[in-house]
Amino acid sequence: MPNTPTRQAAGHLLTLLQLTDSALPTGAFSHSMGLESYLSTRAVHDEASFTLWLEKFLSQSLAYTDGLTVRLAHEAAGGEALARLDALVTAAAVPRQIREAGVKMGARMLHVATSVFPTPELEAYRLQVESGACSGHPGIAFALGAKGAGAPCADTVAAYLFSTITSLTQNAIRGIPIGQNAGQRVLRAMHTPVLAAVETIFTLDEEDLGAAAPGLEIAQMRHEHLRARMFMS
Amino acid sequence: MAPKMAEQPAIRELGPSPFEGTKLVGELRLQVGTRAGKAIATRQYHQGALRILRPHYLDDTAQVCYTIVNPGGGYLGGDNYGIEVSVDEGTSLLLTTQSATKVYKTPGSFARQDMVVRLGPGAVLEYVPDQLIAYRGASYRQFTRVDMHQDSSLLFCEVLTPGWSPDGKLFRYDEVRLRTEVSVGGKLAVLDNLLVRPGEDSLDSLLFLQDFTHVGMLLAIDAKIGASDVERIRELAYRMGEAQRTPVHLGISQVPGPGVAVRALSNSTEAINAVLMAVVDELRLHLRGQKALNLRKY
Repeated sequence: MPNTPTRQAAGHLLTLLQLTDSALPTGAFSHSMGLESYLSTRAVHDEASFTLWLEKFLSQSLAYTDGLTVRLAHEAAGGEALARLDALVTAAAVPRQIREAGVKMGARMLHVATSVFPTPELEAYRLQVESGACSGHPGIAFALGAKGAGAPCADTVAAYLFSTITSLTQNAIRGIPIGQNAGQRVLRAMHTPVLAAVETIFTLDEEDLGAAAPGLEIAQMRHEHLRARMFMS
Repeated sequence: MAPKMAEQPAIRELGPSPFEGTKLVGELRLQVGTRAGKAIATRQYHQGALRILRPHYLDDTAQVCYTIVNPGGGYLGGDNYGIEVSVDEGTSLLLTTQSATKVYKTPGSFARQDMVVRLGPGAVLEYVPDQLIAYRGASYRQFTRVDMHQDSSLLFCEVLTPGWSPDGKLFRYDEVRLRTEVSVGGKLAVLDNLLVRPGEDSLDSLLFLQDFTHVGMLLAIDAKIGASDVERIRELAYRMGEAQRTPVHLGISQVPGPGVAVRALSNSTEAINAVLMAVVDELRLHLRGQKALNLRKY
């Protein structure tokens, strides 16, 4: 840990809090990332089964997709590396709704980040998305915004993962449904898995990007024709 | 009848190997073009534990079928295999295998296969191998890179099954990755990066295999595959899946390229094959007016 004076909060903390706030208008509340298919088959139906699902989703999917994307974007040396990352993470979203969710939330995250925390890197990425050279991904926009505020890479990755976990938990509170207190217990239970996922993410490389579990992908694909959907993915 | 091996060829103008610098246990390089109205290998090279059988023509089209053989029997830890396939303009190639690819225990390591595919304008590649069998303690990584034109056509499938122990119980392998990267007109379209870690039980495997044991994937990229084709393929696949005695859990989605991706989970190779082959046949008919695929080996 850096040796900062105890009465001085880290400058990047507030940026991370704002970017991870569930009120951030990215539309995350309307995406279940396949969870709704598990709800429809009752494979996920209560606090315990949701906690298990969420931990697996985090460690076996999210770490390899958005989590690794955030780290690689934070480390990227320039526009060319970011464009390659953008192409890889978009191409790796094989289920259509997951790809569309990435593009939609990417555009909104990019809009928020560029208007609230502008940096030259974010601006350059925004132009690449605007010109169609990039598709846009929320993980990249988030990473650039956090990096611009001086957030270290590991904090940026952890914050992004926990923010996604929080959105999914709020969706589960409405979708299962489970109580608000149950939701808070689930979030607390995810602290250790999130930190473990961050460690894992630092052992991965570009070859691992987008690694996808077939059962989850099938759930994400079947969501396209699920009856009575609450969520867009 | 014992199949005849293809003539041992010289490397003639195949260009620099994409596997330069990697020590390969088996290597196969194949260029297929059209001669006298029929597709045929115009250049080929193999060394070590990979060979191809002499060409076959399975229907009345010009499409040539080549069969990859692994006389070594199976993949071991640290083994690297390399396959390069180039299909010239307007040429159609069907690539299959003689038997299942077996990956044995790979302690502390993994077996790896790299496949590099180039499809010229109007070229067709259908890659329909036998299933991949991963035994207990096996880790396997397959990296496939496809460079195709906007008007070439790709069909790629794999079935992944666990090995059986002598007493008939299913083994759980450690990990299999099938990473398939497809660029169309120089632009990355699809990165199909399938990862399977069966884990210890069905809870471990909630997102990977659930309660199933077998995985199937199919990826088809062709400019003629539209959204309505994806819907039709989905209905066909679901119908075929429901007709199987062993349940098949399926997902179908449209991918950029444009194209379609299919994922299947089941407890039976035959059930997954029945679904995937129905999709293959539908694509052949719809895209090229070609008859159903009959590999004549079952």
